[in-house]
Amino acid sequence: MYRKQVRRRRAVLVLLIVVALVLISATFSQSSGGPLHTVQQGVASVFAPLEEGATRALKPARDLVNWVSETFNARGENSDLKTDVQRLRSKLARAQSAVGENDQLKKLLNLDRGGTLAGYKPVTARVIARPPTVWYSTVTLDAGSGDGVAVNDPVVNGDGLVGRVADVTHWTCKVTLITDSESSVSARILPNGPQGVAEPEAGDPNVMLLDFIDQNEAIREGQMVVTAGWSNGKISSAYPPGIPIGEVRDTTVAQQQSYQNVHLAPFADMRDLDIVQVATNGPARPGVAR
Amino acid sequence: MIVTWRIGLRIAIIIVVAVVLQLSFFSYLTLFGTTPNIIPLVAVSLGLLGGAMVGAICGFALGFVVDSTLFATLGVSSLMLLAVGYVAGRYREGTEISNTLMPPLLIGVLTVASAAGFSAIQLMLGVETQVSLLVLREIFVQGLLAFLLAIPFYPLIRRVLRPAIVDDVVAGRRMRTPISPGARGRGRRSRRRVPRMRRATGTS
Repeated sequence: MYRKQVRRRRAVLVLLIVVALVLISATFSQSSGGPLHTVQQGVASVFAPLEEGATRALKPARDLVNWVSETFNARGENSDLKTDVQRLRSKLARAQSAVGENDQLKKLLNLDRGGTLAGYKPVTARVIARPPTVWYSTVTLDAGSGDGVAVNDPVVNGDGLVGRVADVTHWTCKVTLITDSESSVSARILPNGPQGVAEPEAGDPNVMLLDFIDQNEAIREGQMVVTAGWSNGKISSAYPPGIPIGEVRDTTVAQQQSYQNVHLAPFADMRDLDIVQVATNGPARPGVAR
Repeated sequence: MIVTWRIGLRIAIIIVVAVVLQLSFFSYLTLFGTTPNIIPLVAVSLGLLGGAMVGAICGFALGFVVDSTLFATLGVSSLMLLAVGYVAGRYREGTEISNTLMPPLLIGVLTVASAAGFSAIQLMLGVETQVSLLVLREIFVQGLLAFLLAIPFYPLIRRVLRPAIVDDVVAGRRMRTPISPGARGRGRRSRRRVPRMRRATGTS
């Protein structure tokens, strides 16, 4: 009797492991409209109302816990902020003289939001679910194909670029954030800096790397980085040009490399996303599936 | 654990509530710079309470639901959670848990193992970008948070599943049975006779 139980238990364990491995392999090999993807969409659709209700109902409790946590962190941040204030004072003096020039550059580069996302229909959405691990930098929004959201639509918030839509159900969509390990954004350093590819550093949502920048280019701390909207006529970036991504934090040059590593701090706080805008029904971009 | 359909329903509700709570509440929190993760906590708790089979099956189900709702690679979470659920169940079957701190400690350790395994699978599947060392901090802090969260959550899950836990059912019967030298081993009829005998002899 005991041996029979042990045999049955082992069989179930082996079966579960095999099923898990088959699922991993099948997920990688199937197309975006495959049966497993349909199953995922079904489960996500069932859970969407629960997640939305829970997100709204538990917001006060979340805010309370985060407030307590931030109060603990505030002590350490106090001394850092004093240093920052000194640094920012000198920066402000330089910035004020550059305000006039900056306005002209904005017009020139079409940086203002209305110009950047001209031709798109913005859909405001709320974040209703987040993953529990740093390996997936994604969020689920409460807007889906029923609201006009399509795969590869850019997503922004008040601070700048957030990510792009990676998957859609009728009521929800999954957004791959720019800090996800699968994300890469063609970017340009302002005002007239070079173009590169902004990629995240997996596990750290506060840092991005701008790669493929020639080491002879002079890059300064604080320079703004925006989407380049790169296109060669056949393939192109999913993002339109001019959306703010972040600012340059520092640069490093590795030995025997022709490129320098430019570290960026994203403008959008990926750990504190609540309301975002999905830019839908935009102009067709060559090579970008919808 | 005696798994009837009612207990199965309770376990299913625990799984759904855990996933919704994780995605809509805990994933929004930042404690010690890390997001708490109650999914391994629930898988290990179910393994500790229900044994290896229950732990493995519930871990697999939890992983499948989490991966589906997040549109993540199916099977990755299932593989890690079924492993920690099974290990927790095997530990429970082979060892008497007498110390109340033991379940939270085990949950903390197995959460670290689960997060490390998850990271290893992600690296094996291929990450094209640089990997920050903060991932290591994330793994260990998640273990610490799981230990702390297990202190209220493990007894809560145990309470929900109490009718099915053999130890609790036996302990409950013992509590209801009066322990007196005359009553032991004589059953319900003999216990009823005690007041009558007292009345007859005039004792109070």
